[in-house]
Amino acid sequence: MSALLRAELLKLRTTRTFAALVGAALALSLLVVVLSTTLGSDFDEQDVRELFTFDFTPLFILLLGVMGMAGEWRHRTITSTILAAPDRLRLLTAKMLAYAAAGIVLSLIVTVAIMAVGSLVLSGRGETTIGLADLAEVLWPNLVVAALLGAFGVAIGGLVRNQVVAIVGVFMLFAVEPAVIGLAIDVGRFGPIVGAPNGIIGINPIEEGEDLLAPGIAVLVMLGWILAGFAATAALLRGRDLV
Amino acid sequence: MAPVEIRDLTKRFGSVHAVSDLSFDVQAGRVTGFLGPNGAGKSTTLRALLGLVHPTAGTATFDGRSYDELDRPSAHVGAVLEDAAFHPGRSARNHLRVLATTGEHPEGRVDEVLAAVGLEDAADRRVKGYSMGMRQRLAIAAALLGDPEVLILDEPTNGLDPPGIRWMRGLVREQAANGRAVLISSHVLAEVAQSVDDVVVIAEGELRGHGTLENVLGGDDGPATEVRSADQERLAGAIEQRGHVVQRDGDSLLVLGITPGEVGEIAGQEQITILGLAPRARSLEAAFFALTGGET
Ligand SMILES: Nc1ncnc2c1ncn2[C@@H]1O[C@H](COP(=O)(O)OP(=O)(O)OP(=O)(O)O)[C@@H](O)[C@H]1O
Ligand SMILES: [Mg+2]
Repeated sequence: MSALLRAELLKLRTTRTFAALVGAALALSLLVVVLSTTLGSDFDEQDVRELFTFDFTPLFILLLGVMGMAGEWRHRTITSTILAAPDRLRLLTAKMLAYAAAGIVLSLIVTVAIMAVGSLVLSGRGETTIGLADLAEVLWPNLVVAALLGAFGVAIGGLVRNQVVAIVGVFMLFAVEPAVIGLAIDVGRFGPIVGAPNGIIGINPIEEGEDLLAPGIAVLVMLGWILAGFAATAALLRGRDLV
Repeated sequence: MAPVEIRDLTKRFGSVHAVSDLSFDVQAGRVTGFLGPNGAGKSTTLRALLGLVHPTAGTATFDGRSYDELDRPSAHVGAVLEDAAFHPGRSARNHLRVLATTGEHPEGRVDEVLAAVGLEDAADRRVKGYSMGMRQRLAIAAALLGDPEVLILDEPTNGLDPPGIRWMRGLVREQAANGRAVLISSHVLAEVAQSVDDVVVIAEGELRGHGTLENVLGGDDGPATEVRSADQERLAGAIEQRGHVVQRDGDSLLVLGITPGEVGEIAGQEQITILGLAPRARSLEAAFFALTGGET
């Protein structure tokens, strides 16, 4: 298992996809934070917390996982991957763990960067800032979500397999889930891309009395989604001929 | 148990019978040519052997174990499949490093196999810019990485230039000389005729011949006999029973590997009346076409 995991991490490090996605996530997040800290005023602590909770990073982490898995079909490397590691279950486990780790790294880079830059601008303008302990409290749920979404992206990529369709699908989910949350919170809060992740982070965009899931429950719901994705992808991988 | 055993292998894709009830062995220390025209079922057989395609029936094993059951598959079996694919953005060296990591082969093997296929100078360039022949060499390097006992090569000379093809011949001979079992497919007999010891000939998914190159296809100057008799079916059966290859050629039989005298002797023993008997000169290629039902 550890050999497979190391091989997957090596794959991630030896193409430009990871660096490109981190760069894009970083650029976009920094832009938003710089704009909102320079243009906004009268920040309170809750505003600052929400500012440092990512909004685009989940998208990039999902894309990373999707491209990592669907890319094996797109570049037809799946055959050589399976030949090297014929046990489909172990291969899929290694892939999910690798992209969970990649998600954490991406999220860590982006979140620390926006916290540093955001705090600098805010303190320069004499606005409210939050201390290190509070920053850490914002950081770790972000990392948990990042790991879960990295693994979930692998499942989407493995199920859809056509990279373009999978990427379009991820964008559509990002549009659909908030709408479902708005229309039917009882359903929407279980969503894998916005609903459950927001529950883990503790953002509540809904009116009073309409709550997202508690963080612990939300983590379990996410694990359920990942497990379902794992089972479906594994069944596909084992059942299909690779020709 | 043989290094490679195919037993009653059958594979259907919907209504297409790609491989039907195919059985043969591949021996260690020998190069076995796996021959058949386009669409004969060669790639399907090799993919079933490698656990990529699920057989409809039958088995394909290495020393009795299926590919999925091997402990470290890349240390046991090296494979080059048709149209080998690589991530275009990754260099040859990094591609091999990934495989070496998965297979737990020493890092030093990467440089060794790069040198063995002559890709040292291009090793750090991205595969995107490689020629077809360079990709083929990289695929061969990947197959050699684990120093495997069995090599499975599906049309490995695709994209190679004449010196490359010569190099490939040398490589498979060397592997066999070192005791490895090599199974190499081709739809062009001439390409492998010089380097194989044994041949397995298939057409339309069915076995058409199996044995040494001499026995199955004869040499350029090997004997072949055309015979007509009062009971063609019984004569064919009797000759085949003695281990010779018989082809139906219109209303006469073409017997490979034995002289008219020997055919006459068999007919005598079986008390079958001979109507016509003649030696026939034939080329390897003609024999191959006759076996596979192609043009002569
Ligand atoms: N995935 C598939 N779906 C349907 N039919 C298939 C599939 N793969 C192969 N076949 C069919 O199975 C038969 C054998 O194909 P295969 O690729 O094994 O032949 P081959 O001997 O390797 O030919 P070539 O020399 O052209 O490589 C062909 O009729 C082919 O059309
Ligand atoms: Mg083929």
